[in-house]
Amino acid sequence: MPGPRGNGQKPKNFKKTLIRFIPEIKPYRTAIIVSVMLSAISVLLTIFGPMLLGMITTSATTSIAEGKGILWDEIIRLVVTLIVLYVTSGIIGYIKEVMLMRVSAKFSKSMREKILAKISRLPMSYFDKVKIGDVMSRMTNDVDSVSMELASTVADIVTSVVTIIGILSMMLMISIPLSLIAIIAIPVSTIFVKRIADKSQRYFKKQRTILGELNSRIEEDYTGQLIIKANTHEKKTLAEFTDANEKLYEASWKSQFFGGLPFPITHIFTHLAYVLICMLGGWFAILGKITIGNVQAFIQYVNQFNRPITEVAQLSATIQQIAAAAERVFEFLDAEEEPRDDEDAILVSPSEVVGEVEFHDVNFSYDKEKPIIRNFSAKIEPGMQVAIVGPTGAGKTTIVNLLMRFYEPDSGYITIDGEPIRDMRRADVRKLFGMVLQDTWLFSDTIMNNLKYGAGKNIPDEEVKKAVKTAGISHFIDSLPKGLSTTIDEDSDNISAGEKQLLTIARAMVANPPMMILDEATSNVDTRTEKMIQDAFSKLTKGRTSFVIAHRLSTIRNADLILVMKDGNIIEQGKHEDLLAMNGFYAELYNSQFADS
Amino acid sequence: MFKMLRYLRPYYLQAIVLVVSVGLQAYGVLRLPTLMSQIVNDGVMANNGAGDMGFIIFTGARMLVWTLISALGALSSSYFSAKLGAAIGRDIRDEMFKKILSFSISEIDNFSTASLITRTTNDISTVQQTLVMMLSMMLRAPIMAIGAIFEAVQLAPDMTWIIALSVTVLLVLIITILSIVMPKFMLYQKLIDKVNLLTRENLTGLRVIRAFNNEDYEARKFDKTNTKIRKTDFFIGTVMGLESPLMMFIFNGTSLLCIWIGVTLLEADGTYLGKMMAFMQYATQVIMSFLFLAVLFVMVPRASVSAKRIEEVLGTKPKIVWKKQGGGDRVSAPSVEFKNVSFKYAGADDEVLSNVSFVAKAGETTAFIGSTGSGKSTLINLIPRFYDVTEGAVLVDGIDIREYSAKGLMKKIGYVPQKGFLFSGTVKSNILFGVDVEDEKRMKEAAEIAQASEFISKLPDKFDAKIVEAGTNVSGGQRQRLSIARVVAKNPEIYIFDDAFSALDMKTDKKLREALKPVTKNSVTLIVAQRVSTIRDAEQIVVLDKGKVVGKGKHKDLIRDCKAYQEICESQLSEEEYRKELEDARA
Repeated sequence: MPGPRGNGQKPKNFKKTLIRFIPEIKPYRTAIIVSVMLSAISVLLTIFGPMLLGMITTSATTSIAEGKGILWDEIIRLVVTLIVLYVTSGIIGYIKEVMLMRVSAKFSKSMREKILAKISRLPMSYFDKVKIGDVMSRMTNDVDSVSMELASTVADIVTSVVTIIGILSMMLMISIPLSLIAIIAIPVSTIFVKRIADKSQRYFKKQRTILGELNSRIEEDYTGQLIIKANTHEKKTLAEFTDANEKLYEASWKSQFFGGLPFPITHIFTHLAYVLICMLGGWFAILGKITIGNVQAFIQYVNQFNRPITEVAQLSATIQQIAAAAERVFEFLDAEEEPRDDEDAILVSPSEVVGEVEFHDVNFSYDKEKPIIRNFSAKIEPGMQVAIVGPTGAGKTTIVNLLMRFYEPDSGYITIDGEPIRDMRRADVRKLFGMVLQDTWLFSDTIMNNLKYGAGKNIPDEEVKKAVKTAGISHFIDSLPKGLSTTIDEDSDNISAGEKQLLTIARAMVANPPMMILDEATSNVDTRTEKMIQDAFSKLTKGRTSFVIAHRLSTIRNADLILVMKDGNIIEQGKHEDLLAMNGFYAELYNSQFADS
Repeated sequence: MFKMLRYLRPYYLQAIVLVVSVGLQAYGVLRLPTLMSQIVNDGVMANNGAGDMGFIIFTGARMLVWTLISALGALSSSYFSAKLGAAIGRDIRDEMFKKILSFSISEIDNFSTASLITRTTNDISTVQQTLVMMLSMMLRAPIMAIGAIFEAVQLAPDMTWIIALSVTVLLVLIITILSIVMPKFMLYQKLIDKVNLLTRENLTGLRVIRAFNNEDYEARKFDKTNTKIRKTDFFIGTVMGLESPLMMFIFNGTSLLCIWIGVTLLEADGTYLGKMMAFMQYATQVIMSFLFLAVLFVMVPRASVSAKRIEEVLGTKPKIVWKKQGGGDRVSAPSVEFKNVSFKYAGADDEVLSNVSFVAKAGETTAFIGSTGSGKSTLINLIPRFYDVTEGAVLVDGIDIREYSAKGLMKKIGYVPQKGFLFSGTVKSNILFGVDVEDEKRMKEAAEIAQASEFISKLPDKFDAKIVEAGTNVSGGQRQRLSIARVVAKNPEIYIFDDAFSALDMKTDKKLREALKPVTKNSVTLIVAQRVSTIRDAEQIVVLDKGKVVGKGKHKDLIRDCKAYQEICESQLSEEEYRKELEDARA
């Protein structure tokens, strides 16, 4: 049906996107070429339909007029031909449909695969700039619209063009003057339609903008409803909303009306052409210039001529839209990746590493303008505990990011057991650390599989059970209906934040790495669970080099090294007593937390 | 979905015009084939094939008139359906927004804010779009179908069975295909959801996956679902691929049947020449109309889900009903009192608060502490009547808050939530959000007290600096300071800080509380806190455990006598400090 299609999105660089497409659809080129040919054949076959139908009518009328009665042989021959045509065209059409559907299914599968693989190859820094929702929408909406529309659009172009050419030749064969009417009326209407459609784009854009504004207003007002209530601001809020809603109404009906105008306009032109052809056709028939059957065929052709033309007219919008979606997908797929590991990387294995870590003149910044870590050097002996402290947002996780090679230092380097980590494989470096983070991240899978996550599937269940016991959660797990086989949902309402934290501790225990990175739990945990977590923490760090991101200063006073961070910089380092003696920022922090005011 | 049509009521005149327009449009179009058949029969074939040019011109002119009438109908129906659809969308949106503004927190919690947002945005958009479709095409298709059948029957009654046959075959076909494919569509949707879930997990768990080197494991898990999607896609494609070739076949077959049957009748009655040509066109129109209807009937259930979700909201009655008048006059010594208050959430078995009593006096700070789930935030939320108590009463200035009007109560209360929240606008509009008059002096003082002046003075437009939606262009700490300034500017009798200081660093926290002291000296101050250090100077500390008051008093008394308080201190202070505090208290 005619009318607004798509959402008027345009790609930033159409040509580039088009070229980028070529390697992507290469595996499917045979299937696409064959189905294009099949759809051309299928269309061509049906184009003879009205003509043959007209021949039946003509044959019957002339033979009756000549008093010979109906010549059944001839008519049955025509009918059989038609049935054969229709059936063949149908079968070919079906094969084409199935082929295209399969191409688009395979294409979208491989696109999804590529996106997922890409996620794991991108540097962490990429995700500092891009929102998760944005990647998600590329994965779902954009992949869908590319794969769904791409295959069918290719076929649509062919079908429409072949239909237009076929019908045109048929009409010209039947009668040139009649064809002129059709040729003038229908494309003229199409141009009209296109004009209006272009104009209506403006209204669509306006409507989209207003709708977007209104929706974010709704979001804001609903989220801030407590504040609105506490300040009895409802009247003003409502008045503002009603105003915006009224504006949306104006834009909305206009875009709907102008976007829908092509329908009545093509309607007028098609029917005008129809009427003129009936009159002229009648006149020509009287003059004997045209058979009655051909008038009938011509009318059928006119009725069928309209649709492919409208489709072609809308094609450019559809293609633009596909290209815009494809561009977004490609943008993601072509983003710069993490450099690959060296072929001759130093091989390390967790069982041999003792856990001596040294920072050599490390400099680092997320943003080149704002250096975060400047000339940081420190040596950490095996088994030492390092605490990182500082107010929220001071950049405490930066050290972790560098240790785990989520980010690379701008200059300087880090060594483990004397070997620079940049010469190791990333995967190997990460195997050396166990990580318990504040945002306790669990998969939607069974507890058993979650606990085995770091160690691999082959680890015996006994090990897992042992870790569960050491972490002090066997009681909690036994209280679950399915024990270790309980599945954790995305939101996991059945498990509290503290229990999740304990699970991640147990997970690190199962993995049994030589070094640990711990992010202390903040609030949201009741006192009893907190105690359990602290106990499990100390069991976990025993005998291992460990890095603790601390929020409570009481727990880290016995640390072997305390790094004090502020505004992204390490401003002090040393032992607790030394730092207190310095009477600097650490002392201030410490006093504000504990001393009597 | 059809219930949504009740919103048409205020626009019944326009609706009538719409129906008439659609009728005219259909009637005009439907006249054409019949007139064409007259051109053939009484024009071309007249006088034994010699023809009657005058008749052709006359009939052609009539056809032109009908075309114009039909065109006018089409234009006016486009106009009215667009207007009506937009108007209904606007009205539903208005009603929805008004309704949700009237909700108390229990209703909001029931739906969840996120769901309410989708209901007001996406769901209404879906319903509006479907309504426009219903008002244009869905109205047109049956009128066209009925009209075409009517004309066809009048024209050639002995050929009517062709239409009946085609429509039956068509419907059987659509129903069969849909019933085979529908369950697979559902499966497909589920698999897509799963793929999305897996992708989201891969994105949010990026660090953990990398830390554990589990990229391959994740890829395998993903591949399983992805392959299932492809298989389902193949199946759907194989069945759905049948649809369009079969439709074409029905179309063409119908034309063929019309001509063939027409020809057999032609020998007995010459007028069948024109009749069968017209009939063929009517049959096509009927099939087209049914196809449209089929598409629409697939759309309507989808919109029905949205419509239902809208109705759910509109049908919900807010539980809290405010008095129209009452309270509001400032008193010299405000107070808040809980009298044997118990509270449980609707539908829940357990009480969140049981039998809580305390009095908070003017010029004093009353603090609430307890582990998560102890009910301290809930308690605070009872004072601005975000929830109603299940038993007992909350008194403000000695009067039950249920006797106040909303305005009367809220004027007395300054509430700072856990997470600072700002509205789009300017710094100024946010600070003065709770104040009726524009008062520059007050605004600046409030900013000063809330420790916000310094960063505001660094903003390009100072107090006129733009704040975007939900205040995401300022930092969390700044947001919190502005939302404290908003309360200070309001100058309330009762200050409520729901764990509002945790987003501030210790220094600012301290400075801010110092600055607040003179302002709150005649007010009641209520603080919910996580840390002992924030509240140790409070005149009264209420210790909550599982909804019960287990301790009430000053820091010193509690650390000596209250076991729950001791536990909290023990976990937050080092052993030595704790011991020292305890000894001090005992001394």
